[in-house]
Amino acid sequence: MKIDDFEKLENEGAESLPSEERRRFLRFGLAVTGVFVGGSVLSLTSARNAESAMGPVPASGAFPYSPHYTMVIRQNRCIDCERCMDACVKTNNVPSYGYRTTILQQEREIGNGVKERVFMPVLCNHCNRPPCVRVCPTTATYKDKKTGIVMMDYKRCIGCKTCMAACPYNARYFKEENRAVDKCNFCFDTRISKGESKTACSAACPAGVRIFGDLTDYGSEAYKLIHKPEKVVWVLRPETGAMPNVFYMND
Amino acid sequence: MKRNNKSVMTIVGLAAVIGLLVSSSLSFGEEAYDEDTYGPKAPILWTKPVKGVAFYHKTHTMDAGLSCDNCHDKIFEMAAGTAEQKADFTMASLYKGKYCGTCHDGQMAFASNTRCATCHVGVKGYNKLTGAAPQGKAEGKH
Repeated sequence: MKIDDFEKLENEGAESLPSEERRRFLRFGLAVTGVFVGGSVLSLTSARNAESAMGPVPASGAFPYSPHYTMVIRQNRCIDCERCMDACVKTNNVPSYGYRTTILQQEREIGNGVKERVFMPVLCNHCNRPPCVRVCPTTATYKDKKTGIVMMDYKRCIGCKTCMAACPYNARYFKEENRAVDKCNFCFDTRISKGESKTACSAACPAGVRIFGDLTDYGSEAYKLIHKPEKVVWVLRPETGAMPNVFYMND
Repeated sequence: MKRNNKSVMTIVGLAAVIGLLVSSSLSFGEEAYDEDTYGPKAPILWTKPVKGVAFYHKTHTMDAGLSCDNCHDKIFEMAAGTAEQKADFTMASLYKGKYCGTCHDGQMAFASNTRCATCHVGVKGYNKLTGAAPQGKAEGKH
């Protein structure tokens, strides 16, 4: 039947509809509404359980890697001497236009005209759910199955920089010399795999800000620091759900 | 149109008055700080053993009420940069009551093992105070 023929038809009117038809129509409408309402009610329920109320530190024994490398940053000790940055540049051959780790600065008034200056060292957080790894089209960046370090395979990198956009911590840069994205790997190739116990930045820090360690080693300083019950430990941008492995605290 | 011109003139006039007030109060503040009484206005910047620490005479003399001979020459020599040439110019010495630690002991002034970034302005603070450009970092490039 063509549209012109429809126009010629006489309007039957709603009052002549059989009640069976009305019921079927209403039932259909209710079913559709039910699906949407049910869906939105379900989506209001948190997918995570109450663990999020326990802070960002994973429960003892819940570390997926062995050793599970971590860095604890005692933020209020940082004085921005930038020895960590210099050591990182030397150790990992970082060009002047990029960084594997840097220090952010914030100044704020804390009342009565008193100003507080805060230095915040940042680096790759070696997330348990790394957004950069998820978006990489060539698996050039990957989560090391043993140590949990987020690593780079420079040969596979096509330089699309999607990982740089995905990283919640701005911890990646494009290294022209490699024609690939470069990032912190906890000095795995330059130090840790050669038997050193500390990363270059951690070893260079004069104030004990950066504590590199293994979360599965309950005797390690890093483990002890973040499991002190009287201390507040936080991570950066927890809302991303990336589950970072760099923890921050004030000493 | 006429009214518009008038309101523009009023705004310009107001801005000029405010500007005058602000600049006069600023210049008044500058005049009140006498370098002979309170010490050099520019901060003393230390780069050893770590870069960089800023010391402001104003905070200690004009604001806190210390006189020159409270620190000079027993704790610090008059010539800037003398202390940092010494090997014991470290935080450990401060904790033992030397140099800044003479007063910064938690009794007279905040203890020298607290509030690190109050005096430690860092490389960023040093560059800002000396007007040096941050090394190697291209502005706005991410």
